[in-house]
Amino acid sequence: MSFAALIARNVFTRKLRSSLTGFAVAIGIMTVVALGVLTHSLRQTAISVLRTGQADFTVAQKGVSDVLYSALDDSQVATIRSYPGEESVVGVLIAAVKLDANHPFFLELGMPPDQLAPFGVQVLSGTVYDANATDQIMLGYRAANDLHKTVGDPITVDTADFHIVGIYSVGNIFGDSASMLPLTTLQGLERKPGSVTLAFVKVKPGTDIPALRAKIEKDNPALATVRSESDFGRVDRNLGLLSAANVATTILALVIGAIGVMNTTVMSVFERTREFGVLRAVGWTRARLVGLVVGEAVLISLAGAAVGLAMGYVAIRLIERVPEVVGVLQPDYPVSIFGRALGIAFGMAFIGAIYHALRAALLEPMDALRHE
Amino acid sequence: MHCAPPFWSQWTRYDMSEAAPSPPAIRTIDVVKVFDGGLVRALDGVTMTVGRGEFVAVMGPSGSGKSTLLHLVAALDVPTSGTIIVSGRDLRSAGNERFRRTEVGLVFQLHNLLPHLNALENVEIAMFSNGLRYAQQRERARELLEAVGLAAKEKMTPPRLSGGERQRLAIARALANRPSIILADEPTGSLDSTAADRILALVRRIREERGVTIMLVTHDLHVAGAADRIMYMRDGRIVEDGAAAPHPPDRGGVAQDMRE
Repeated sequence: MSFAALIARNVFTRKLRSSLTGFAVAIGIMTVVALGVLTHSLRQTAISVLRTGQADFTVAQKGVSDVLYSALDDSQVATIRSYPGEESVVGVLIAAVKLDANHPFFLELGMPPDQLAPFGVQVLSGTVYDANATDQIMLGYRAANDLHKTVGDPITVDTADFHIVGIYSVGNIFGDSASMLPLTTLQGLERKPGSVTLAFVKVKPGTDIPALRAKIEKDNPALATVRSESDFGRVDRNLGLLSAANVATTILALVIGAIGVMNTTVMSVFERTREFGVLRAVGWTRARLVGLVVGEAVLISLAGAAVGLAMGYVAIRLIERVPEVVGVLQPDYPVSIFGRALGIAFGMAFIGAIYHALRAALLEPMDALRHE
Repeated sequence: MHCAPPFWSQWTRYDMSEAAPSPPAIRTIDVVKVFDGGLVRALDGVTMTVGRGEFVAVMGPSGSGKSTLLHLVAALDVPTSGTIIVSGRDLRSAGNERFRRTEVGLVFQLHNLLPHLNALENVEIAMFSNGLRYAQQRERARELLEAVGLAAKEKMTPPRLSGGERQRLAIARALANRPSIILADEPTGSLDSTAADRILALVRRIREERGVTIMLVTHDLHVAGAADRIMYMRDGRIVEDGAAAPHPPDRGGVAQDMRE
């Protein structure tokens, strides 16, 4: 019998206790995975907004709670346009509306028709809207497919009636699931005259992008530039708070799981003191005994982690179906979250087991054998 | 018909016919062991020697210190004072785990087998850390089970074995690392006379074929009669030490103690 087989046998022999401990670990891992995937996916969704224009970087109002609450006025956009090295600066007003019960989060992007090409819009069918048209709208091809709409069809968005003049693609899932209409029309509907949400900046080849970003931020303290995912917290505090909650939940899950493992280990060590005495009597080293106890805890935790990963996946699939998040959440399962879950499982096992494993190992064989 | 010799007959670490004197297997010098802060004096200056290959029975009434002496010799506990030298090794030095693994085999009255492991696995767990590969461990465990007559029951767990079978399994485990000394604490204490006789015959056979030193603690005069020598303890001291007789004579105080 190998040492690993002995560990597995010991865990399997105490089925109920091992199962309950594994379940406690699974709950912790499920929470970590579900919240991790949720946070990551929301972050990706938000990042998608910034990347819709295929820009080199995006400029937003600094420190708003949600990136969609960012507001830049005409003068700020003009200031951004004044910097050398820029190829284009597209000011876009973004509004989120509820289309119907199945589409509670539908985006409208408002921009002048002459900015569509710099923004990377490719018209697939129909034509672009007129600059001042109040009843014309374009749908991203994903939105058109989802809504079963085509060029010429009418559509009502948040009480405003439009007819579809074109179907477009921007090569981005988020943008292709949205709609576009004249900037002035959307500003009127949203009662935000002269205001845009974000400015998408594309630079000329050879431009020093970090230097340009630094200069814009230095000259305009109310603005923040975003190029990478790590910059995102500067313009969206909600996501920063969600990330902090994610870290807190991870720590809590680790602590709760470790307590579960500790509870199992302390009972196991107490009940098996005589067994440990026998093993020491036949020549087992203290290190091997510690390895046995910790190994059993690790095995239970890993089994719990496997179940927790599956439960986390199911939880996310269920959350996806909640009407309030349909269209907002496009689940993404990064490897790092699974790595973190495994790390936490090891952490739970080690923290929960090591103290009692050492206590068991430090017992003199005869003291252990005398234990009733 | 040719019969292969028992595997332990191939162990030739000691030549019992050698005339030259060899150091004793076990030697204790003025060993004292107290418990409960000195309230209980379990051993009170025990000095004794057990020669290599010798079979010694330790007798005495309950509380006389015989099991305590055995545990100290097995390095399961440490003396309060005095010196214990086993196989030339002073047990006060460090590394008693390796000593327990390689030099002594322990047999307990209550077997101390792991109930969730089968017979084969109970023997194998004693061989962890002895440098053998898994296949070698399994082969040796099977040989030992065959030697103690449990080959057909290797997949059975201890609760499904009889008391005598469990004790034979415990002996197989004690032999797993080919020790030079077997220390047995009341190995027949929980067995009926038939099972006890079988265990005794097994112990003697192992001793004759292997030449191991055996130190056996017992209450049973019949079991003690199988030994070369009987040490009798009372109040933490060895009060008598002499050759065993097939039918132990009335030792006066000894017989009285045993009746108690």
